[in-house]
Formats: sequence, C-alpha cells, structure tokens
Amino acid sequence: MSGSSDTNVPAGITTNWVSLAALAIVGLLSLFSLYMGFQEWGTDQETSLIYIFIGAAGFAAIGYMVFRRQASVNTPRKELEIQKVDVVTTLECPKCNLKRVRDFKRGDYIFKDDEPCTRCDGIMKITRITRKKDEKEIAKQKKADEDTRDL
Amino acid sequence: MTIPFGQIFQDQNQLNTVIQTLFSLAFIIYLFYAQRLQSLQMLRQVEVTVRKIKTVKDEAKKITIQTINEIGKPTIDITPRIDRLMDQFFLPMEGMDPAGIVDKLDHFLKTAKSVSKEEVKVLAPSASESERDNLENLIEVSQALDQLYRILRHYYLQGKKTMNIYVILQTQMILPQVLEMVEAYSSGVQAFKDGMPVGDSVGPIVAGKLIAGNPVRDIADEFVAADVPYEGRTIIVMKAKGPGGSVGNPDEGLINVLNDKQGKVKIIITVDAAGKLEGERVGSVAEGIGAAIGGTGKEKFKMEEIAVKYKIPMHAVAIKEGMENVVAPLVDPLFDGTDKAVEYVKRIIMDYSQPGDTVIVMGIGNTIGVGQ
Repeated sequence: MSGSSDTNVPAGITTNWVSLAALAIVGLLSLFSLYMGFQEWGTDQETSLIYIFIGAAGFAAIGYMVFRRQASVNTPRKELEIQKVDVVTTLECPKCNLKRVRDFKRGDYIFKDDEPCTRCDGIMKITRITRKKDEKEIAKQKKADEDTRDL
Repeated sequence: MTIPFGQIFQDQNQLNTVIQTLFSLAFIIYLFYAQRLQSLQMLRQVEVTVRKIKTVKDEAKKITIQTINEIGKPTIDITPRIDRLMDQFFLPMEGMDPAGIVDKLDHFLKTAKSVSKEEVKVLAPSASESERDNLENLIEVSQALDQLYRILRHYYLQGKKTMNIYVILQTQMILPQVLEMVEAYSSGVQAFKDGMPVGDSVGPIVAGKLIAGNPVRDIADEFVAADVPYEGRTIIVMKAKGPGGSVGNPDEGLINVLNDKQGKVKIIITVDAAGKLEGERVGSVAEGIGAAIGGTGKEKFKMEEIAVKYKIPMHAVAIKEGMENVVAPLVDPLFDGTDKAVEYVKRIIMDYSQPGDTVIVMGIGNTIGVGQ
C-alpha cells in the first residue's frame, strides 16, 4: 500500500513557526514591560509594579509553554529511531577452556562450532551472544534499583 | 525612555476598566474555547507521535527491502511485493459456535504461515532456510510497525475531523503504551536482520543448554527433540529448530512425543520468557504450574489438552523480561537468567521424578540465533 502510507498527516511545520513567533513576540513584550517597570521604579512605583507584573506574567507564560512543549515532545523521551546496538559473540574452546569475545557477525548463533582454537586443536563453540553493555544501560539499571530499593 | 501609564490612560479608572475588560474577555474566551484548546493541544501530541512512528516504520521497511535484496538476491523489484505484504490482513475466526474453534484457528494459522513462507521464498530465492525464517520475522516486524502507524493515524485523523475530545483524549492517553510497543518492535529490526538471539529466545537457549550436544531428531514441523540422560532419568528436551527465527510447533511436538510414549511421562516442564512487572529484575526466574507459552492460545490449549488426557502434571519456569527486551538483541541479565532457569529445571526434575522416569522439558520461544 505504497499509496496509503502517504495519505499524510498535515504538515506541522507551520504550527511550529506560529508557536515560535508567538513565543518571540510575548518574550519581547515581556522584556519591554520589565524594562519599563524598572525604569519607572523611582518615579511612579504603582505604574512600575503593573509593568513588572505584566513582564513577569509574560515570562511565566513562556516558561509554561516551553515546559508543556517539552513534556509533549518528550512523551517519547527521545527521538524514535531504529536502534542499532553493539552485540558481541563469546566463543569458548571445550578442550582448553580458552575464551574469546569478538563482535557479532551475521551467521553466528549460540551452540555453533565456529572456528579452530588458537591455543589447541579444538573447535571453539559460540556460547553466548549478547548486547554489549553500555553506560546508559548500566545507569538505567542503577536508577531502577534505586527506585525499588525500599519497596 | 519610559512611557508612564498616565500618558496612555488619562485617569486610574480608565486603566481599571481596560484591565477589567481584558480579564472578562479572557474569561469568556476560556469559557467557550477551553475544551477546544485542550483538544488542539492533545491533537498536537498525537500528531508528533504519528510522525515519529511514520519515520520508524519507513526506516524498518527500507531495512527490510535492503536485507532481502542483500541476502535473497531477487531478480525482480521487490518493493511492490513488500508493499502488498504490508497490507496483508488476517481475518479473525467467527466464534458464534465456539466448538472446534481451536482447530479452525490452527488451520488458519497454518495457512498464514505457509503463505508467508511462500512469499519469502519468492522474495529471497538465494536465501538459506534459516535466513528465510529470519526474513519472515523481519517482515512481520515491519508489518506490525505499519499496522500501529495506520491505526494511530486513523484515530488522529478521526479526532481532527470530528474534534471530538473523547476520541482525541483516548488516543492521547494510550500514546505511552503505543510508543513502548513501537520501541520494542523497532529494536527487533537489527536482531531479525542479522539473526541475533532476542529476549524471546531464552526458552530455546535453556533447552539448548540441556541438550548439550546430544543428537536431535525432528518431532514436528520446525520442532526438534533430544533424549538426554540425567541422574537416571531420561529428559526429552524439545525446542524449535534453529538457528533461523521460528517458534516451531510445540503443541504438535508434545502431542507426537506423548502419543509415541503412550503418555508414560512423569512431568512436563515448559520454560519461556514472561513479562515482568515494574520493579522486577530482568532475568529473574520464577516457577509455577501450567503451560508457560504465549502466542494465540492455540498451542497452549492443545498442550493442556494432551497433558490432561494423560494426566501429566505441568510445571512452568519463567524468565522475566520487559516489553523492550522481547524482540531486542539479548541482554546479559537475560542470558544469565537462562543459567538460573537450567538450575530450576534440574531441581524440579529431581523433586518430582524418580530414576527411570521420563521427563519432558520444552524450551518455548523464538529460536533465532540459537542452534541445537
């Protein structure tokens, strides 16, 4: 259904530009208002407070918009993509117990008699194929452990 | 340069009136448009997600086509055929008269499997049997991603068309679960492309460890068994035939072996990966009673039926994993879990059987990247 997958979701770029423009305008007005407020502080404190209040409210609104946007965009915390991870193959010689770890290559499978042992005349067997540990995973596991420590 | 309010508004009352009017206006707008604003905001979230899923499913399809071209060396342009496969559907059985529905389901599943096999054969004429199994799995992942995308897009467009907050709200509410599924499937693309063991392969790995090089024989389509002597008992260890991506036919394998043995088996132990609850560790092992097997339920039904027929107790060993692990390349805690599961199986055998008994151990799951 090459056609149907292109029955598209309307473009969202315009919305992004509108949001950005709105943010910029509100930001500028708020900045101007704050400037006016601080300028006026010495002469007319009541007017100055109104200006400062408007400026602060503008920045609060910007903060809220950014926060909401982050929250919505981060619903999937990161960009979705086809993950590519490093996978390693562990080989062991059943005769001399020599162990070797190398990158996975297509055609590897667990329990496969793979290549001659470099130390004896045995054939090394693939005993393990797993994802290479990365720091992100370790940190994630650590956090999960911390979260459940007292539960 | 400052512009005092006094210059713009001649007196304080005028300023108050303007502020009051602005507030009243904002209140009225909020009163009438709050729901619409909320709907637009949620719709935007759904749209962002739909776009992300579209990117992933397009990428998965591209990788699928590339891999088939690389491994299968087709002589034709396979893109239209893959597009057609993405659109393929499986109609659910009619259950008005449920008697015999499992056999009906079995028949339809076998038809679907054979259609899929034939398609892959045409798409990848140069691929080996194992590679074809892997390609079948890869196509299934692409199909699943495509399906998720189309369903979500349907609800997004429906919500946008009707501006019905309940349609939009329900769609927005399930986004985290949908994304979890998309992430899980997308992590399977690499594994199925290259034939790596995945989280679901833990059952066959446990079986492979128990087989430990003993000769295997075919007992059903894509399902093998080996007789393994252990502490005076005979363990018949079964698993899907690897290393291609396949779950085999465990129900038929069990039925054939039990009929062959005329039911003279002491216990049946099934080992499978199981979904963990939040807070449980990946790779933790638990044991229980029953048939540890997922899927459509057809296999589970038939296995339970034959076990009941011969009155054989069914034990289960589960290795816990998260949804993100199921089709992703195997992680260390899961592989370590298979060693623990082997110990559990051995202990169950020692506890519930006597020397001279025959015990069946079934490693359930996808045997991709796992030999015998």
